[in-house]
Amino acid sequence: MRLNDLGHLLQVMGTFLGLSLFSLGGGNTLLTEYHHLSVEQYCWLRPSQFADIYALAEAAPGPSSMIVGLLGMGAGWPEGPGWALLSAYGAEIAILLPSTLLMVVACLSWNRLRDSPWRVAFERGLGPITLGILFAVGVKILKTADTNAAGVVVSLLVCVLMLRTRISPLWFMAVAGGLGAFGLINR
Amino acid sequence: MTESPAPGTTPSPPGLRQLFTGMLMVALSAFGGGLSAWSQRIIVEQRHWMSNEEFLTGLTVARLFPGPNQINMAVYVGTFFRGLPGALAALAGMLLVPFTLLMGVGLLYFQFHTLPALDRVLAGVVAAAAGMALSMGFKILDQYWKDPMALVLAAVTFVLMTFFHVRLVPLVLVAGPLAMAWYWPRPSHPPAPQGERR
Repeated sequence: MRLNDLGHLLQVMGTFLGLSLFSLGGGNTLLTEYHHLSVEQYCWLRPSQFADIYALAEAAPGPSSMIVGLLGMGAGWPEGPGWALLSAYGAEIAILLPSTLLMVVACLSWNRLRDSPWRVAFERGLGPITLGILFAVGVKILKTADTNAAGVVVSLLVCVLMLRTRISPLWFMAVAGGLGAFGLINR
Repeated sequence: MTESPAPGTTPSPPGLRQLFTGMLMVALSAFGGGLSAWSQRIIVEQRHWMSNEEFLTGLTVARLFPGPNQINMAVYVGTFFRGLPGALAALAGMLLVPFTLLMGVGLLYFQFHTLPALDRVLAGVVAAAAGMALSMGFKILDQYWKDPMALVLAAVTFVLMTFFHVRLVPLVLVAGPLAMAWYWPRPSHPPAPQGERR
Protein backbone atom coordinates (compact mmCIF):
# COMPACT_ATOMS: atom_id res chain seq x y z
CA MET A 1 0.00 0.00 0.00
CA ARG A 2 2.73 2.45 1.01
CA LEU A 3 4.79 1.44 -1.99
CA ASN A 4 1.81 2.27 -4.16
CA ASP A 5 1.59 5.74 -2.62
CA LEU A 6 5.28 6.31 -3.18
CA GLY A 7 4.89 5.32 -6.82
CA HIS A 8 2.05 7.81 -7.09
CA LEU A 9 4.20 10.55 -5.60
CA LEU A 10 7.02 9.81 -8.05
CA GLN A 11 4.52 9.92 -10.92
CA VAL A 12 3.32 13.37 -9.79
CA MET A 13 6.90 14.62 -9.56
CA GLY A 14 7.89 13.17 -12.93
CA THR A 15 4.93 14.87 -14.58
CA PHE A 16 5.94 18.30 -13.30
CA LEU A 17 9.67 17.81 -13.91
CA GLY A 18 8.87 17.32 -17.59
CA LEU A 19 6.76 20.48 -17.79
CA SER A 20 9.13 22.85 -16.01
CA LEU A 21 11.06 24.05 -19.05
CA PHE A 22 7.85 24.84 -20.93
CA SER A 23 6.77 27.52 -18.46
CA LEU A 24 7.12 30.47 -20.81
CA GLY A 25 6.01 34.01 -20.11
CA GLY A 26 6.35 33.75 -16.34
CA GLY A 27 4.78 30.34 -15.92
CA ASN A 28 1.11 31.05 -16.60
CA THR A 29 1.37 29.35 -19.99
CA LEU A 30 1.26 26.00 -18.19
CA LEU A 31 -2.25 26.45 -16.81
CA THR A 32 -4.07 24.63 -19.64
CA GLU A 33 -1.63 21.78 -19.21
CA TYR A 34 -2.20 21.72 -15.43
CA HIS A 35 -5.93 21.55 -16.13
CA HIS A 36 -5.52 18.71 -18.59
CA LEU A 37 -3.31 16.67 -16.25
CA SER A 38 -5.19 17.16 -13.00
CA VAL A 39 -8.79 17.12 -14.27
CA GLU A 40 -8.85 15.05 -17.47
CA GLN A 41 -5.86 12.72 -17.40
CA TYR A 42 -5.29 11.77 -13.74
CA CYS A 43 -8.63 12.94 -12.26
CA TRP A 44 -6.97 14.42 -9.17
CA LEU A 45 -9.55 17.21 -9.14
CA ARG A 46 -13.06 17.95 -10.35
CA PRO A 47 -13.33 20.94 -12.75
CA SER A 48 -14.85 23.16 -10.06
CA GLN A 49 -11.99 22.26 -7.70
CA PHE A 50 -9.46 23.27 -10.34
CA ALA A 51 -11.17 26.66 -10.64
CA ASP A 52 -11.17 27.01 -6.82
CA ILE A 53 -7.47 26.17 -6.60
CA TYR A 54 -6.56 28.63 -9.33
CA ALA A 55 -8.45 31.36 -7.43
CA LEU A 56 -6.74 30.45 -4.12
CA ALA A 57 -3.29 30.57 -5.72
CA GLU A 58 -4.07 33.95 -7.31
CA ALA A 59 -5.38 35.37 -4.05
CA ALA A 60 -2.44 34.15 -1.98
CA PRO A 61 0.65 36.34 -1.64
CA GLY A 62 3.76 35.13 -3.46
CA PRO A 63 4.57 33.77 -6.92
CA SER A 64 1.48 32.38 -8.69
CA SER A 65 3.33 29.19 -9.73
CA MET A 66 2.61 27.94 -6.22
CA ILE A 67 -0.62 26.54 -7.71
CA VAL A 68 1.46 23.44 -8.49
CA GLY A 69 1.78 22.78 -4.76
CA LEU A 70 -2.02 22.78 -4.51
CA LEU A 71 -2.33 20.43 -7.50
CA GLY A 72 0.12 18.06 -5.82
CA MET A 73 -1.92 18.32 -2.64
CA GLY A 74 -5.07 17.36 -4.56
CA ALA A 75 -3.24 14.37 -6.04
CA GLY A 76 -2.18 13.13 -2.60
CA TRP A 77 -5.35 14.00 -0.69
CA PRO A 78 -7.09 10.59 -1.09
CA GLU A 79 -4.15 9.03 0.78
CA GLY A 80 -4.48 11.40 3.74
CA PRO A 81 -3.22 14.87 4.71
CA GLY A 82 0.34 13.65 5.37
CA TRP A 83 0.78 12.28 1.88
CA ALA A 84 -1.04 15.32 0.49
CA LEU A 85 1.58 17.64 2.01
CA LEU A 86 4.45 15.44 0.85
CA SER A 87 2.98 15.35 -2.63
CA ALA A 88 2.50 19.14 -2.58
CA TYR A 89 6.14 19.80 -1.70
CA GLY A 90 7.28 17.17 -4.20
CA ALA A 91 5.24 18.72 -7.01
CA GLU A 92 6.48 22.26 -6.28
CA ILE A 93 10.12 21.17 -6.13
CA ALA A 94 9.68 19.24 -9.38
CA ILE A 95 8.19 22.18 -11.29
CA LEU A 96 10.91 24.57 -10.05
CA LEU A 97 14.03 22.38 -10.24
CA PRO A 98 14.74 22.25 -14.01
CA SER A 99 13.95 25.92 -14.64
CA THR A 100 16.08 26.91 -11.63
CA LEU A 101 19.09 24.93 -12.87
CA LEU A 102 18.71 26.46 -16.33
CA MET A 103 18.49 29.92 -14.76
CA VAL A 104 21.74 29.32 -12.85
CA VAL A 105 23.47 28.37 -16.11
CA ALA A 106 21.92 31.41 -17.84
CA CYS A 107 23.18 33.75 -15.12
CA LEU A 108 26.71 32.37 -15.28
CA SER A 109 26.92 32.50 -19.09
CA TRP A 110 24.83 35.60 -19.82
CA ASN A 111 27.76 37.59 -21.22
CA ARG A 112 28.15 35.03 -23.99
CA LEU A 113 24.41 34.49 -24.49
CA ARG A 114 23.44 38.14 -24.66
CA ASP A 115 24.52 38.82 -28.23
CA SER A 116 23.90 35.32 -29.56
CA PRO A 117 21.45 35.10 -32.49
CA TRP A 118 19.86 32.13 -30.66
CA ARG A 119 18.84 34.42 -27.81
CA VAL A 120 17.39 37.06 -30.15
CA ALA A 121 15.44 34.45 -32.14
CA PHE A 122 14.23 32.73 -28.98
CA GLU A 123 13.00 35.95 -27.42
CA ARG A 124 11.27 37.25 -30.54
CA GLY A 125 9.91 33.93 -31.74
CA LEU A 126 8.54 32.60 -28.47
CA GLY A 127 6.90 35.93 -27.56
CA PRO A 128 3.98 35.68 -30.01
CA ILE A 129 3.46 32.00 -29.16
CA THR A 130 3.30 32.94 -25.48
CA LEU A 131 0.70 35.58 -26.37
CA GLY A 132 -1.49 32.99 -28.11
CA ILE A 133 -1.12 30.54 -25.22
CA LEU A 134 -2.11 33.17 -22.65
CA PHE A 135 -5.36 33.89 -24.53
CA ALA A 136 -6.06 30.15 -24.67
CA VAL A 137 -5.38 29.97 -20.91
CA GLY A 138 -7.83 32.81 -20.24
CA VAL A 139 -10.60 31.11 -22.20
CA LYS A 140 -9.87 27.77 -20.53
CA ILE A 141 -10.09 29.21 -17.01
CA LEU A 142 -13.29 31.08 -17.92
CA LYS A 143 -14.84 27.83 -19.18
CA THR A 144 -13.66 25.93 -16.10
CA ALA A 145 -15.14 28.56 -13.77
CA ASP A 146 -18.48 27.71 -15.41
CA THR A 147 -20.53 30.32 -13.53
CA ASN A 148 -23.99 31.68 -14.39
CA ALA A 149 -24.49 34.73 -16.64
CA ALA A 150 -23.94 37.14 -13.74
CA GLY A 151 -20.61 35.43 -13.03
CA VAL A 152 -19.48 35.78 -16.65
CA VAL A 153 -20.37 39.49 -16.59
CA VAL A 154 -18.27 39.86 -13.43
CA SER A 155 -15.38 38.00 -15.12
CA LEU A 156 -15.48 40.32 -18.13
CA LEU A 157 -15.75 43.38 -15.89
CA VAL A 158 -12.76 42.25 -13.80
CA CYS A 159 -10.77 41.68 -17.00
CA VAL A 160 -11.42 45.27 -18.12
CA LEU A 161 -10.69 46.68 -14.65
CA MET A 162 -7.42 44.71 -14.49
CA LEU A 163 -6.33 46.39 -17.73
CA ARG A 164 -7.64 49.90 -17.08
CA THR A 165 -7.07 50.46 -13.35
CA ARG A 166 -4.43 49.67 -10.76
CA ILE A 167 -6.88 48.42 -8.13
CA SER A 168 -5.59 45.38 -6.25
CA PRO A 169 -7.24 42.21 -7.63
CA LEU A 170 -7.88 41.14 -4.04
CA TRP A 171 -10.71 43.70 -3.96
CA PHE A 172 -12.34 42.14 -7.03
CA MET A 173 -12.12 38.72 -5.41
CA ALA A 174 -13.57 39.99 -2.14
CA VAL A 175 -16.51 41.73 -3.82
CA ALA A 176 -17.19 38.77 -6.12
CA GLY A 177 -16.96 36.41 -3.13
CA GLY A 178 -19.64 38.53 -1.44
CA LEU A 179 -21.85 38.33 -4.54
CA GLY A 180 -21.39 34.56 -4.40
CA ALA A 181 -22.30 34.39 -0.72
CA PHE A 182 -25.58 36.22 -1.47
CA GLY A 183 -26.31 33.80 -4.30
CA LEU A 184 -25.99 36.36 -7.12
CA ILE A 185 -23.12 34.38 -8.67
CA ASN A 186 -23.44 30.62 -8.68
CA ARG A 187 -22.31 27.61 -10.67
CA MET B 1 28.85 37.78 -14.09
CA THR B 2 30.54 35.63 -11.49
CA GLU B 3 33.27 38.11 -10.57
CA SER B 4 32.65 40.46 -7.68
CA PRO B 5 30.18 43.25 -8.42
CA ALA B 6 31.28 46.64 -9.69
CA PRO B 7 32.75 49.05 -7.12
CA GLY B 8 30.20 51.24 -5.44
CA THR B 9 27.53 48.58 -5.14
CA THR B 10 28.58 46.83 -1.91
CA PRO B 11 31.84 46.31 -0.03
CA SER B 12 31.26 42.63 0.70
CA PRO B 13 28.87 40.46 -1.33
CA PRO B 14 26.04 38.84 0.67
CA GLY B 15 26.55 35.37 2.06
CA LEU B 16 24.08 32.49 1.98
CA ARG B 17 22.31 33.55 5.15
CA GLN B 18 21.98 37.14 3.98
CA LEU B 19 20.60 35.97 0.63
CA PHE B 20 18.04 33.86 2.47
CA THR B 21 16.94 36.64 4.84
CA GLY B 22 16.98 39.26 2.07
CA MET B 23 14.59 37.24 -0.06
CA LEU B 24 12.51 36.46 3.01
CA MET B 25 12.13 40.22 3.51
CA VAL B 26 11.13 40.66 -0.14
CA ALA B 27 8.47 37.96 0.17
CA LEU B 28 7.10 39.38 3.44
CA SER B 29 7.07 42.98 2.16
CA ALA B 30 5.18 41.94 -0.96
CA PHE B 31 2.19 40.43 0.87
CA GLY B 32 -0.11 43.03 -0.62
CA GLY B 33 1.35 42.50 -4.12
CA GLY B 34 4.10 44.15 -6.15
CA LEU B 35 6.76 41.48 -5.71
CA SER B 36 8.92 42.92 -8.49
CA ALA B 37 8.95 46.46 -7.09
CA TRP B 38 9.78 45.19 -3.62
CA SER B 39 12.71 43.06 -4.75
CA GLN B 40 14.16 46.10 -6.54
CA ARG B 41 13.66 48.29 -3.49
CA ILE B 42 15.29 45.86 -1.08
CA ILE B 43 18.12 44.53 -3.27
CA VAL B 44 19.13 47.81 -4.92
CA GLU B 45 18.02 50.65 -2.66
CA GLN B 46 18.14 49.24 0.86
CA ARG B 47 20.90 46.65 0.83
CA HIS B 48 22.96 47.97 -2.12
CA TRP B 49 23.76 44.45 -3.27
CA MET B 50 23.41 45.32 -6.95
CA SER B 51 23.39 48.48 -9.03
CA ASN B 52 20.10 49.28 -10.72
CA GLU B 53 21.63 48.29 -14.05
CA GLU B 54 22.69 44.90 -12.75
CA PHE B 55 19.22 44.36 -11.33
CA LEU B 56 17.54 45.23 -14.64
CA THR B 57 19.86 42.84 -16.50
CA GLY B 58 18.77 40.16 -14.05
CA LEU B 59 15.12 40.97 -14.71
CA THR B 60 15.69 40.64 -18.47
CA VAL B 61 17.28 37.21 -18.01
CA ALA B 62 14.56 36.15 -15.56
CA ARG B 63 11.82 37.04 -18.05
CA LEU B 64 13.56 35.42 -20.98
CA PHE B 65 14.11 31.99 -19.49
CA PRO B 66 11.40 29.49 -18.52
CA GLY B 67 10.06 29.62 -14.98
CA PRO B 68 8.13 32.12 -12.88
CA ASN B 69 9.70 35.59 -13.25
CA GLN B 70 10.07 36.40 -9.57
CA ILE B 71 11.47 32.98 -8.72
CA ASN B 72 13.93 33.29 -11.59
CA MET B 73 14.92 36.72 -10.32
CA ALA B 74 15.67 35.28 -6.86
CA VAL B 75 17.70 32.51 -8.48
CA TYR B 76 19.58 35.11 -10.54
CA VAL B 77 20.47 37.20 -7.49
CA GLY B 78 21.58 34.12 -5.54
CA THR B 79 23.70 32.79 -8.41
CA PHE B 80 25.20 36.22 -9.05
CA PHE B 81 26.86 36.21 -5.63
CA ARG B 82 27.16 32.59 -4.51
CA GLY B 83 26.52 30.28 -7.46
CA LEU B 84 24.15 27.33 -7.11
CA PRO B 85 24.12 27.32 -3.26
CA GLY B 86 23.24 31.02 -3.33
CA ALA B 87 20.42 30.33 -5.80
CA LEU B 88 18.94 27.69 -3.49
CA ALA B 89 19.27 29.95 -0.43
CA ALA B 90 17.52 32.84 -2.23
CA LEU B 91 14.82 30.52 -3.54
CA ALA B 92 14.15 29.09 -0.08
CA GLY B 93 13.90 32.60 1.40
CA MET B 94 11.50 33.69 -1.32
CA LEU B 95 9.18 30.69 -0.97
CA LEU B 96 9.28 29.67 2.69
CA VAL B 97 6.53 31.88 4.13
CA PRO B 98 4.14 32.20 1.15
CA PHE B 99 4.30 28.50 0.35
CA THR B 100 3.79 27.37 3.94
CA LEU B 101 0.83 29.73 4.19
CA LEU B 102 -0.68 28.47 0.94
CA MET B 103 -0.28 24.87 2.09
CA GLY B 104 -2.23 25.72 5.24
CA VAL B 105 -4.99 27.26 3.13
CA GLY B 106 -4.90 24.22 0.83
CA LEU B 107 -5.35 21.74 3.68
CA LEU B 108 -8.32 23.77 4.96
CA TYR B 109 -9.76 23.90 1.45
CA PHE B 110 -9.59 20.16 0.80
CA GLN B 111 -11.04 19.49 4.25
CA PHE B 112 -13.96 21.91 4.03
CA HIS B 113 -14.69 22.68 0.36
CA THR B 114 -17.88 20.64 0.41
CA LEU B 115 -19.51 23.03 2.92
CA PRO B 116 -22.29 24.83 0.97
CA ALA B 117 -21.46 28.26 2.44
CA LEU B 118 -17.79 28.02 1.39
CA ASP B 119 -18.73 26.74 -2.04
CA ARG B 120 -21.03 29.72 -2.61
CA VAL B 121 -18.32 32.24 -1.73
CA LEU B 122 -15.80 30.39 -3.90
CA ALA B 123 -18.21 30.48 -6.88
CA GLY B 124 -17.96 34.27 -6.76
CA VAL B 125 -14.20 34.37 -6.19
CA VAL B 126 -13.72 32.00 -9.12
CA ALA B 127 -15.60 34.42 -11.42
CA ALA B 128 -13.20 37.23 -10.45
CA ALA B 129 -10.17 34.96 -10.89
CA ALA B 130 -11.37 34.01 -14.37
CA GLY B 131 -11.43 37.70 -15.26
CA MET B 132 -7.84 38.01 -14.05
CA ALA B 133 -6.81 35.04 -16.20
CA LEU B 134 -8.56 36.57 -19.21
CA SER B 135 -6.61 39.83 -18.82
CA MET B 136 -3.16 38.16 -19.06
CA GLY B 137 -3.10 37.98 -22.86
CA PHE B 138 -4.44 41.52 -23.32
CA LYS B 139 -1.73 42.81 -20.98
CA ILE B 140 1.08 41.90 -23.39
CA LEU B 141 -0.90 42.36 -26.63
CA ASP B 142 0.22 46.00 -27.07
CA GLN B 143 3.83 45.18 -27.82
CA TYR B 144 2.85 42.99 -30.80
CA TRP B 145 0.40 45.35 -32.57
CA LYS B 146 2.89 46.49 -35.20
CA ASP B 147 4.04 42.99 -36.09
CA PRO B 148 1.45 41.19 -38.31
CA MET B 149 3.44 37.93 -38.26
CA ALA B 150 3.39 37.90 -34.46
CA LEU B 151 -0.39 38.35 -34.46
CA VAL B 152 -0.79 35.50 -36.96
CA LEU B 153 1.43 33.24 -34.83
CA ALA B 154 -0.52 34.13 -31.70
CA ALA B 155 -3.88 33.58 -33.44
CA VAL B 156 -2.83 30.19 -34.85
CA THR B 157 -1.53 29.14 -31.42
CA PHE B 158 -4.78 30.21 -29.77
CA VAL B 159 -6.99 28.42 -32.30
CA LEU B 160 -4.94 25.20 -32.17
CA MET B 161 -5.10 25.07 -28.39
CA THR B 162 -8.68 26.21 -27.87
CA PHE B 163 -10.53 24.56 -30.76
CA PHE B 164 -8.28 21.66 -31.73
CA HIS B 165 -7.09 20.86 -28.20
CA VAL B 166 -3.44 20.65 -29.23
CA ARG B 167 -1.31 20.12 -26.12
CA LEU B 168 1.27 22.65 -25.02
CA VAL B 169 4.46 20.59 -25.29
CA PRO B 170 4.09 19.38 -28.92
CA LEU B 171 2.81 22.83 -29.89
CA VAL B 172 5.86 24.64 -28.49
CA LEU B 173 8.25 22.01 -29.88
CA VAL B 174 6.89 22.50 -33.43
CA ALA B 175 5.86 26.16 -33.49
CA GLY B 176 8.83 27.36 -31.43
CA PRO B 177 11.58 26.45 -33.92
CA LEU B 178 9.46 27.69 -36.87
CA ALA B 179 8.93 31.06 -35.17
CA MET B 180 12.62 31.22 -34.23
CA ALA B 181 13.59 30.63 -37.86
CA TRP B 182 11.27 33.45 -38.97
CA TYR B 183 12.69 35.87 -36.39
CA TRP B 184 16.33 34.79 -36.82
CA PRO B 185 18.31 38.07 -36.86
CA ARG B 186 19.25 38.93 -40.45
CA PRO B 187 22.43 40.85 -41.18
CA SER B 188 20.59 43.12 -43.66
CA HIS B 189 18.69 44.93 -40.92
CA PRO B 190 20.59 44.79 -37.64
CA PRO B 191 18.69 44.06 -34.42
CA ALA B 192 17.63 46.89 -32.10
CA PRO B 193 20.26 48.11 -29.60
CA GLN B 194 20.78 45.89 -26.57
CA GLY B 195 18.55 46.45 -23.58
CA GLU B 196 15.92 48.30 -25.60
CA ARG B 197 13.51 45.40 -26.01
CA ARG B 198 10.45 45.18 -23.74
